[in-house]
Amino acid sequence: MAISGAQSSGPGVSVGPTSEFSLFFRVKPGQSESLRDALNDLQQTPGYRPGDYGMAITTIHEARFVLFDDDTRLAFITSFDGPWDAYMEDFFNSGPTLALFDVIFRHAEGYDGLPDLAAEKAFILGAQQSAAAYARNYPGTVKEIRKAQRVNAAFQRVLDHPEAAAALQHPALQPLLDEAGD
Amino acid sequence: MPGNDWVTLELDDIQSGALHERPSPYVGVYLLLRIDDRAAGRELVRRLQAVVDTGTPSPDPAHDAWMTVAFTFHGLKALGVPQSSLDSFAPEFREGMAARATHLGDVGESSPEQWEKPLGTADVHVAIAVLAPDLARLEAVAERARRAHQELDGITVLWRQDCYQLPTGRTSFGFKDGIGQPGVEGSGRPPSNPHDRPLKAGEIILGYPDETGELPPMPTPDILGRNGTYVIFRKLHTNVAAYRQYLRAKAADREEEALLGAKMVGRWQGGAPLALSPERDDPDLGSDPRRNNDFLYGDDPRGFKCPVGAHARRANPRDALDTDGSVDVRLHRMIRRSTSYGPPLPDGVLEDDGADRGIIFVCVGAHIKRQFEFVKTQWLNDGIFIGAPSEADPLVGSGDGATSFTIPRRPIRRRLQDLPPFVTTRGGEYCFAPSLPAMRWLAELP
Repeated sequence: MAISGAQSSGPGVSVGPTSEFSLFFRVKPGQSESLRDALNDLQQTPGYRPGDYGMAITTIHEARFVLFDDDTRLAFITSFDGPWDAYMEDFFNSGPTLALFDVIFRHAEGYDGLPDLAAEKAFILGAQQSAAAYARNYPGTVKEIRKAQRVNAAFQRVLDHPEAAAALQHPALQPLLDEAGD
Repeated sequence: MPGNDWVTLELDDIQSGALHERPSPYVGVYLLLRIDDRAAGRELVRRLQAVVDTGTPSPDPAHDAWMTVAFTFHGLKALGVPQSSLDSFAPEFREGMAARATHLGDVGESSPEQWEKPLGTADVHVAIAVLAPDLARLEAVAERARRAHQELDGITVLWRQDCYQLPTGRTSFGFKDGIGQPGVEGSGRPPSNPHDRPLKAGEIILGYPDETGELPPMPTPDILGRNGTYVIFRKLHTNVAAYRQYLRAKAADREEEALLGAKMVGRWQGGAPLALSPERDDPDLGSDPRRNNDFLYGDDPRGFKCPVGAHARRANPRDALDTDGSVDVRLHRMIRRSTSYGPPLPDGVLEDDGADRGIIFVCVGAHIKRQFEFVKTQWLNDGIFIGAPSEADPLVGSGDGATSFTIPRRPIRRRLQDLPPFVTTRGGEYCFAPSLPAMRWLAELP
């Protein structure tokens, strides 16, 4: 069930169906440049290219990597659909996540490859900080938003039809007609 | 917090052109000059400061004519303004309009490579504008300008653009223009919209607090910046035939053509705002200065009367964005002084006759970036702010290709597709119009 206020379900705070998730790492000495290169490469991969809108994990709203403190620290900040505690192990076990983690987090202190799930979990949980304040400006999951966009695109195609005004006169279509004017 | 204390503008030091309303009818001339010799340039400025117009404009704009003088960044360099002063001007002014072209959407046919020479080049140093109610008074003022620059070796007139109000009193697209103007505190002139509190003087004139309560960044030394303002100048070619052809193709009859045109502009051709007369033109309303700008958009959030994407509503959304929480419309106002150039395309003609016609867009303000550049890039070239990121202004839009335009309507909206650009940028300059003391300072630079 969607919850209305900002609530914590384990690490991370939720608003409705969506949770925030923020990780903060220390960059290994001398590796800030190679980490920047790896992030630049990541930006060119499918899903991360601007305009792709197709990240491998389809429940993520957006994600960002931020180097800060003179490139000595790295933040990974995202919002995703679903409660953190239910999905944590799935994330750690998913191919795309692991591949991503490996190329980026190898530059972070405390990362020693991907030996096992327990080590991964410990590494991630050690870097996680819950938001002290978190707000969202629209309700809805990524899937709901994509569905809404498809429905609106279809609706706009209907409205472009020369006979749309006549077709929408049926009483059953009144809710659509209310949205048809602009 | 901005204070409420009424400032007193030092009108005797401020060039009249900044605060002066355009007469109607009007004639005008724009000159661009190059300074080839520094001493000649300073002598030019010395002569111009003696003949430039300042002071309280006549309450009746039909009763006088005036001259405005402004300098580009290259012009200030040519005069030998010290580097520390040059560095103190707004970054956009220092870069110049041509360098800002990509940001401004002046691309494709509107790109500086296509501009009319010498617009956008380092040769443009001084801009002189003369506006008058008729040719006789124009000639009298223009003669003062001519005496200032002629017989000065080392000063070259590069470009001249004549302008005049068309016999219809309207733009080449057929619309009454120049209706809405913000009031400025201390100018003695009321706003054209009675709902509109006059702007803080620092929005338009440097050296006074602006809407943020702060003093706008001002060029140094104080005598150079104070009572000056930035003047933005663009020559915009209007493709009237393409505009008429588009309306003809989309409308069933002349009446619908007029309606579509009005929806694109936000006003009927006679000047009546859609917000007050959504169904039909009302020439009496359009020509009544007490009523033709007396409106807001708050009662029409979805744009059934005036589309949220209409040109006039984009350029000045009035109260339409007040609930957004992200924008203060008063930070994005400016004084507009645009004029028409070129012959009208005769009524009913749909084929292009090859003539150059359009608008000399002129606006005045203390903040190039958050006034002109903001309005051009965020409100005209783009539709993020109205929830339609792919829609540009239907009339002047972005230079890079076709756009669409949504006309809210019951029962269902109409969406016009594939609007080509109806306006092409032929060139432009960012200029600085100094105060009279600043011109004397420039003339007497060591």
